[in-house]
Amino acid sequence: MPDHTNHGMQCNEFDSLLSDALDGVLSRAALDRFQAHARSCQACGALFAEVEAGRNWLKDLEEAEPPASLVTNILASTTGVDTQRLRSAAPTRQPRISWLEHVQAALLEPIWAMVRQPRFAMSFGMAFFALSVGLTVAGVKPADLRQVSLRPSALRHAYYNTQARVVRYVDNVRAVYEVQAALAGIKRNVRPAEPGPAKPTKERKNDTSQQPEQKQERNYSQTGEQLILASAHRGPCIGDCDLPVGSVTTYRRFV
Amino acid sequence: MEDVQVVAMLVRRCIAGDAAAWEEIVQSYNRRIYNLCYRFAGSADDAQDLTQEVFIKMYRTLSSYDHTKGAFVTWVTTITRNLLVDHFRKTKQDRMTDSMDTAASEHEDAQPLSEQIPDLSAPPDTRVRQREVSETVHAALGKLSPELREAVILRDLQDMDYREIATVLKVPEGTVKSRINRGRAELARLLQRTYRQVM
Ligand SMILES: [Zn+2]
Repeated sequence: MPDHTNHGMQCNEFDSLLSDALDGVLSRAALDRFQAHARSCQACGALFAEVEAGRNWLKDLEEAEPPASLVTNILASTTGVDTQRLRSAAPTRQPRISWLEHVQAALLEPIWAMVRQPRFAMSFGMAFFALSVGLTVAGVKPADLRQVSLRPSALRHAYYNTQARVVRYVDNVRAVYEVQAALAGIKRNVRPAEPGPAKPTKERKNDTSQQPEQKQERNYSQTGEQLILASAHRGPCIGDCDLPVGSVTTYRRFV
Repeated sequence: MEDVQVVAMLVRRCIAGDAAAWEEIVQSYNRRIYNLCYRFAGSADDAQDLTQEVFIKMYRTLSSYDHTKGAFVTWVTTITRNLLVDHFRKTKQDRMTDSMDTAASEHEDAQPLSEQIPDLSAPPDTRVRQREVSETVHAALGKLSPELREAVILRDLQDMDYREIATVLKVPEGTVKSRINRGRAELARLLQRTYRQVM
């Protein structure tokens, strides 16, 4: 900007008074000089118009609405965690809790609801065995069991029906293998759906940055650990959660 | 903007372990911090994560707040701004990595603003129109350099005074004013270009 004098005001002085002029805090005399310069100096007049327009755009910008879960998530990631150790570890994992809950609700809940129910049935193991043998013979995949009624009474009924045909065929050890195998099959069928949106993959690139470890920790830890935590919340686990990863191998060996 | 005594009391109660006091602080400041993060970082997801980070940091460092040294809102804004700087550096590095990975430049920056915005010529509804304008201004804000962007956000969207902004940004007030005006002017130029292209 050329630094010339117009109406007793230099361009740099005009520049320094811009904010005050827009805020309406200039004295009468200063404002008169300011406006006179704006009229006579093309560069400063244009600048003033732009600055004013920019401010007006921003003034009209509405406040963004935070997500409804924000406060809850903040509280959960601060006071929700009691021990000092967790307080320093937890925060970075919290942000996507709602997302995980969503995944859990959408994908895991039906499976858990199904798997949980037979715990109340005394004959769960054998009934499940009988069912899965029957269904395997009929060419039904474990994932299709979702459609089958697993009420204890229904299971018991199915068990006794099938038992008539196959009960002498296997011993208890094989039954345990088969139950594990069926559950492992279900888990395998569920697993591919677990990875979330593209986000975690993108964030993984962050570890090339110079961010404090806590941020990297967030990126790495959240997906895996949260899922484990999520399953822990489901209440006491009996057979299903204790199911070792190795049971998949067992299944393959068995079949 | 805030009653110094009330805030000081809230902070003392928080430090003493009063969860209700903390919740009051979260309720009072979450919108403000979220908006600062959203306008600076650009994305709602990032804003949500950043806002949580801000509160976690606040929660851990609350005892270091000294109300005799400045307003609580200045302290909170400083924490937020520092996290935003980290975030900016991080994402900038990501962008560099991205462009090295993909070779071809698919930078958002390379795309004219007019291609990112909805058609402004025929919105039937004024509310829809209003939202589209907001999105356009928001997108233009993201085109400003971080120094200019933070200055105009703090002044025009967060209504802070120049002295507070100078404290947060750790630069003289004159610099603050100059950045605000350059930021506003740059924004107006970007939007003028956009609207001329679209209409
Ligand atoms: Zn001039």
